[in-house]
Amino acid sequence: METSWFAKRPVSDIRPGDHGWLAHTGLEERDRVIGIFVGEGLETGEKVVYVSDRPAGRLPGLGGRPPDELDELARSGRLRVIPRRAACLDRSGGFEPAKMLDTLAREVGEAFGQGLRAVRLTTDHSRLLNEPGRPGLARMLGCEHRLGEAVSPSTMVKAICQVDRQACRPDELTALRDTHEVLVEVNPEFDDGVLKIVRTFDPVGLRVEGELDAARHAVFSDRLAQVSAGRGGVHLDFSRLGFIDLGCLNLLAHHAIALPRGQALVLDNLPPDVETVIELVGWHRLPGLARGRDRVPAEEGAAR
Amino acid sequence: MKLEHRAFEYAGTGAFLASVEPFLRSGLEAGEAVVAVVREPNLGALRDHLGSDGASIEFWPAEEFYLHPVRTLKDYQRIVASHAPRRVCALAEPVWQGWTPRQLLEWNRYESLINVVFEGSGARALCPYDRRAAPAHVLDQARRTHPLFLRDGDTRWNADFVDPVTFGTGCDRQRRFPPPRDADYFAIEDADLHRLRAFVAGRAAAHGLDRRAAQNLVTAANEVAANALRHGTPPMGLWTWPDGPDLICEIGDHGLWRPSPLTGFIPPESALDRGFGLWTVRLLVDLMEVRAGWNGTFVRMHMRK
Repeated sequence: METSWFAKRPVSDIRPGDHGWLAHTGLEERDRVIGIFVGEGLETGEKVVYVSDRPAGRLPGLGGRPPDELDELARSGRLRVIPRRAACLDRSGGFEPAKMLDTLAREVGEAFGQGLRAVRLTTDHSRLLNEPGRPGLARMLGCEHRLGEAVSPSTMVKAICQVDRQACRPDELTALRDTHEVLVEVNPEFDDGVLKIVRTFDPVGLRVEGELDAARHAVFSDRLAQVSAGRGGVHLDFSRLGFIDLGCLNLLAHHAIALPRGQALVLDNLPPDVETVIELVGWHRLPGLARGRDRVPAEEGAAR
Repeated sequence: MKLEHRAFEYAGTGAFLASVEPFLRSGLEAGEAVVAVVREPNLGALRDHLGSDGASIEFWPAEEFYLHPVRTLKDYQRIVASHAPRRVCALAEPVWQGWTPRQLLEWNRYESLINVVFEGSGARALCPYDRRAAPAHVLDQARRTHPLFLRDGDTRWNADFVDPVTFGTGCDRQRRFPPPRDADYFAIEDADLHRLRAFVAGRAAAHGLDRRAAQNLVTAANEVAANALRHGTPPMGLWTWPDGPDLICEIGDHGLWRPSPLTGFIPPESALDRGFGLWTVRLLVDLMEVRAGWNGTFVRMHMRK
């Protein structure tokens, strides 16, 4: 069954009160979400709280900045990189949900006192879920529920909990996801109100929403070339594609025949209206294009 | 290998069987892929008559096979391609009853196009014409679209045969009327066809086209409008109006285009080929007519509810 109670939101649209979830497939996806989340927070005069054991200079959204700038941000209280031990672990290194909530309350209180209008909190659960002596799932879920209860009514806090999908089992991932109301994803590559193109990471490709026509061939072709550069197995998720013109079938075939031998451009989740046209002309007239999976029950990322 | 495209006239099931049986048996003996697309009651009579000898023949009821000339050409092409390199031996009896004069014209053109589409396929086709049931002008047209005629067991060159380009040009000379004065009009002034699609979808829904027909018409109109924007000369626009059960959608511009009478009828190899778009438009709508002259280029699409 499609899980429809989530809001799926591009990272730039995260609002105060959002307790967001990002299960990423790797550093590229993480950096393209968290990097924007952190960067936009700092640029718009909000406070950024990053719970991580890594030094600030190696975190997404902070990596490119000179050490002086990072020091200044820290001094002014606009940026807080808090090691996990200080943020949410007890003396013996065990996970302590109550401490996490205290940390959040303290940082928000300070920001309020400084006159900062919002606090962006992000924390990476991957290590917590992966390391020896990991907390039980129930403990994690309890923490997330309480965090959600603290964030949701807030008019100041925007939170994103991140986890590497490889860090835990799929059922645990689903259970953790379900404690969040908002699924965070990358900002669209393009959105003009008629066509929206969103980069996908698992599988690698693009989600194409709305209407794809001649006026938008150039931008689509450009994004398709970008995502295909140096890699095979690119998928296009057409689940929310309402219209595709015949010129675009030609464009897709042109793109597909230029792929290395044996590789196909895979079309996933074809809506009936689009499939009708393709079946009418015949798949064999679209060399290099392959029919991918049909609509599958919601996994991470299939929710809307 | 050259196509053999022959017709014959018959009266009654006995005469039908007497002519088609040697043809089908010759195909079976030569190891060809034998296909029989035949109307009832001839279909049942033929199956009974051949009995187990006909076991390897692919039978199709003509009433299901001959619904849309451009799609039927595509379907025959698929059959020929699926059996390659074997030759195909096809008994092919179109349906000649129940069409409007305009539709009949397209089926005549279809018979003529067979000569082009399967030119080098090596296929052998025999087209039966029922002298008692087919209208007289259908028999006249059959003499212009089949290079070979079977009479009294002998195949002869047919002197009345007209080459398909000339035949197609004749089909396109049919008199056509301009859009009625009260036709709805949409000026194509913007390279973004989003609003044009919404306009066509709205007219299609108001006319009562079902969802698939409406979507097909939108896709077809979008393609023709995109072509007009790419190749045509302004001013350009789209008219729609109802004509009985049909919704007509016409797109015109003031450019001069001289399409071949075969344009959009020959199935392309792939979406990469020139002509893929117009061919697909012909597949999507019930009928597409092109009128190109000094006063501009007009593409008229018909969609029946």
